[in-house]
Amino acid sequence: MNYLELLKLASPEVAVVVTALAVLALGLASARGAGICSAVAAAGILFAAAAVLLLPEQATLFHGMLVIAPLTSLFKIICLVLAFFTVILARGDNTPRHRGEYLALLLLATIGLMLLVGSEELLMIFIGLELTGLSLYVMAGFDKTDPRSAEAGLKYFLFGSTASAFTLFGLSLVYGMCGTTGLAAIGQKLTAGPVQPLLAAGMVMTLVGFAFKIAAAPFHLWAPDTYQGAPIPSAAFIASGSKVASFVVLGKIVLVGFGPAHGSAAWHAMIAGWAPVLAALAALSIVIGNLVALAQSNVRRLLAYSAVAHAGYTLLGLIAGGREGFAATLFYTTIYAFTLVGAFSVVALVRRETGGDDFKNFSALWSRSPLLSGCMAIFILSLAGLPPLAGFFGKFYLFSVAMRAGTNHGLLWLVALALLGSFISLYYYIAVLKAIFVDDPETGTLNPEPLSSINLDFLQRMSLIVLAVGILFLGLMPTILVARIVASLP
Amino acid sequence: MTSWIVTNLWLIPAVPLASSLLILTFANSRRRTGAALAIVGQVVALALAVMAFLPTLAEPGWRAFHNFTWFTFGEHALRIGWILDPLTAAMMMMITFVGLWIFVFSTGYMAGDKNFTRFFAYLSFFSAAMLGVVIANSLLLLFVCWELVGLASYLLIGFWIHKPSAAAAAKKAFITTRIGDIGLFLGVLWLYGGSGTLLFYDDGNGCLERAGLLALGTSATFVALLIFSGAVGKSGQFPLHVWLPDAMEGPTPVSALIHAATMVAAGVFLVARVYPLFSLGAIDGVTPSLTVVVWIGVITALMAALIALAQADIKRILAYSTVSQLGLMMVSLGVGGVAAGIMHLLAHGFFKALLFLGSGSVIHGCHHEQDIRKMGGLRRLMPVTFLTYAIGMMTLSGVPLFFSGAWTKEEILHATAHWPRSFVPHYLMMAGVVLTALYMTRQMIYVFFGNRREASEHAHESPSVMTVPLILLAVCSIVLSVVVTPAWPWLHDYLNGEPAHFAIGQLIQPMLFVSLALVAAGIGLGVLLYRNAGERDPLARAQPVLFRFLENKMWLDELYGKTVLAWSATLSRASDWMDRYVWDGLVRGVAGVGQFFGILSANFDEHGINAGVDDSATGTRGLGRFMSAWHSGQIQTYLGVVAVGMLALLILYAWLA
Repeated sequence: MNYLELLKLASPEVAVVVTALAVLALGLASARGAGICSAVAAAGILFAAAAVLLLPEQATLFHGMLVIAPLTSLFKIICLVLAFFTVILARGDNTPRHRGEYLALLLLATIGLMLLVGSEELLMIFIGLELTGLSLYVMAGFDKTDPRSAEAGLKYFLFGSTASAFTLFGLSLVYGMCGTTGLAAIGQKLTAGPVQPLLAAGMVMTLVGFAFKIAAAPFHLWAPDTYQGAPIPSAAFIASGSKVASFVVLGKIVLVGFGPAHGSAAWHAMIAGWAPVLAALAALSIVIGNLVALAQSNVRRLLAYSAVAHAGYTLLGLIAGGREGFAATLFYTTIYAFTLVGAFSVVALVRRETGGDDFKNFSALWSRSPLLSGCMAIFILSLAGLPPLAGFFGKFYLFSVAMRAGTNHGLLWLVALALLGSFISLYYYIAVLKAIFVDDPETGTLNPEPLSSINLDFLQRMSLIVLAVGILFLGLMPTILVARIVASLP
Repeated sequence: MTSWIVTNLWLIPAVPLASSLLILTFANSRRRTGAALAIVGQVVALALAVMAFLPTLAEPGWRAFHNFTWFTFGEHALRIGWILDPLTAAMMMMITFVGLWIFVFSTGYMAGDKNFTRFFAYLSFFSAAMLGVVIANSLLLLFVCWELVGLASYLLIGFWIHKPSAAAAAKKAFITTRIGDIGLFLGVLWLYGGSGTLLFYDDGNGCLERAGLLALGTSATFVALLIFSGAVGKSGQFPLHVWLPDAMEGPTPVSALIHAATMVAAGVFLVARVYPLFSLGAIDGVTPSLTVVVWIGVITALMAALIALAQADIKRILAYSTVSQLGLMMVSLGVGGVAAGIMHLLAHGFFKALLFLGSGSVIHGCHHEQDIRKMGGLRRLMPVTFLTYAIGMMTLSGVPLFFSGAWTKEEILHATAHWPRSFVPHYLMMAGVVLTALYMTRQMIYVFFGNRREASEHAHESPSVMTVPLILLAVCSIVLSVVVTPAWPWLHDYLNGEPAHFAIGQLIQPMLFVSLALVAAGIGLGVLLYRNAGERDPLARAQPVLFRFLENKMWLDELYGKTVLAWSATLSRASDWMDRYVWDGLVRGVAGVGQFFGILSANFDEHGINAGVDDSATGTRGLGRFMSAWHSGQIQTYLGVVAVGMLALLILYAWLA
């Protein structure tokens, strides 16, 4: 192992680091270089994605610190694509001044995600979590003119650092009990049957840290304020990229590392392990997320609570376990991330035009921009899980995997709860669409002036269309992504 | 190249579909671009169809398919695919070619319409759906495209949505065909249950191949009949034919495209496609399902021909003639003359499109008057239209020798003559030939001969963008006879998968003289009856009761209204009542409980934990108070919840352990 080889295998990460530094320098050098910064950041991301494609099929460095496998490559690309859309989104968003710094932070967060995805080693995972987290805290509070952004950043930071503390404590307990930080090695140390109390405490604490990352109840309290207060690109990236990577690594930790301590979440047949813990989180998330979302009148806040509910659904795959379950979780979280980036793009444009993102700001959007409204309808309906959109297939896949898991359909209670939750969620999703397509501007809006149509530039238009068409397409031909994910799982 | 076109057969429907989407998204306000996109899409589809047609000529009975997995559902992989065989190739050629000229014609006919581009988007969409039906190698894919065809027809029939009659006709067409489609869908399910596959051909494992048919066994009869019910709906067979004449509310090019040339052909095509299901276990070429097809066809053909005699709307006459001809094709399929039926379908596609476009030209020239009793003497004013219309009329009536329709009709009469079960269809079809000649003569005389009446006073010939397609289609109607005569029955053998042979001696068959006599009788009777006809129909004078019976379409619409519709209305009212007072009460109760918990939970989250933050965030409190609000402990509460939550999880774990 020489360092040249390391450089080659870490070339995507290196590319992003170099881009981040270049963007930072460009931003500092010229105050007007905002456009150039965006272009350089986008180009760097594309370059990194190309570098990922050139990586070898399989490689492991330093006992799992950096792992290259089909799964890691696939999700590195997904994270990069999400970052790419976020760059486009940030380009149209004029709130963050100091564009260079902002984009550099975004790229640093992306490196964190890539490390997170590409590691099977607890220490490295923690470093990835921290790198992502610290960048995102600053991104959330980046809009220095808006006190709500500051509030969002601070809350996210305080909450996140507490969760990190728990995670680190948990990880150290796990390390102490197992004597190793490699996931596969931990999996070998653990045996089926009861675990020692200290190790159990370590596992639960680790899970709490991830529950915070994926915004599962009751560790979701930061999400509504952050989603609502942070600059929109930051919120979009927190809700998409950070979540996807967290699910990937959470899946690896529980299925590979804690695999033998699975336990069972079956009704009346619960066995101690991480599965019932996750099941409790999932159930609580589905209930709280959906019910509280009913009472929201702000679209970003609504998306935050719905994100809580979606985290609950997504956990179902992990609880079901196995290759199929992991694949269902990964598929769903990917779909969800792209849908949410799309939805946040629409929200950003509406906010730019109307100065807000409450329901009333969306009223009669249909007459102002059919394109925006149509795309938003696709995103929202996919979130609600209506066929033929990708969200439908994702939910269907998750629920059917959970149904089949275990003996006697033991997870039926969770599936039933999730179905009930999606049923409730229809109400608030449709309420958004009602505002867009049905509501009268006179009664709903603050805007006294006559409605003008909303102009989108080429990139905004294209990114919206690509996302919407992609979601429709993945609903019709889910096999394309599912087969890829299944094939990449060991 | 051959394998390329088979693998990429999907491009043929995809191109018009892409045009349609492009028009809708980008060319909504650009009329020229819109029409050009549609026509270019159709030209490309035609070129691809020709590319697909060539390999099928290579050897008789050539067939290729490309199957792939659409998605995997548990252990079942749902596979779909496309097929290229003579039937598909011939249908594609007809659809794209006739479609192209109808598109061109529409640029003239719809010139003044304000939704011009939308019209072309729908036309392209329709064309795509129809091409999807013919390339499908899976009953599921076929069904999907079949429903898209239904949607396209709904959009196009109701294109002039501001006319209540058009909206009603669109609804009627959609709902009536859906009734048949329910049967078809049940057939699809049954077929899947019985044979385990919906692929038609799959290297011996398809549902139309040995293994699938063996697995199906005797249930094939029921499956076939259920599939036939779909065909009955789409192809306007008795008793679901009622939508087709009403569908004439759509713009005339739509009538030409959908209700003459292609869409209604889908039903006949479907029966031909799944013919092995119908003929499974045939004794002497007769099975129960085929017998049903024959009799439904006979009833439809005769009934529609009779009704056509008493109609006054130029397009309605053609509509009923379409119904009648489709019945004839069904009879042909039922008695075993599959190739004959499809040949007639192809020929019919050309000449019926010609007749409809001709009627469109007449209507255009007469300032949107459709009543033939108000026309007359158009022969001199619209010479091109007259000439081409006459060719169409003679092809439809089956005037021997020069016109393709005559030869194909001849072939069908031949097939019926050899049906072992009964001779009745044969003679009834002969009667149908006389009736066809009669009502077409009636129409010709009313429209083109005699004195000018109110609507034809200021008639004018249509522009060349409309007459050129007419001329082309007329030429095709004649030229097509080259490949359908008994002397060189190339098309027949091509469809049957046999090598074509040439035998000039076979040209003159005894049947030719019989049909010559029949057609002559029909036309002669027509001339005799209608030569001096005035406003009042001669038939109405002679047989007023019978005429009224036919004029009102045998009161079938009224019958359906009094029975099926009335029953379903009663049922709806009853369900409405149940819904309103019984179920709704229940739902409200449940919703109330849900709402209660929702409010409870929201209050807990918003006020118990999040108190103040949201209120201040909405700006109701001052910024300072807001800052102090979360300084004064809110985030601590948050973190407290984290601690409590974690403790709860630990306790859960310990409790389970």
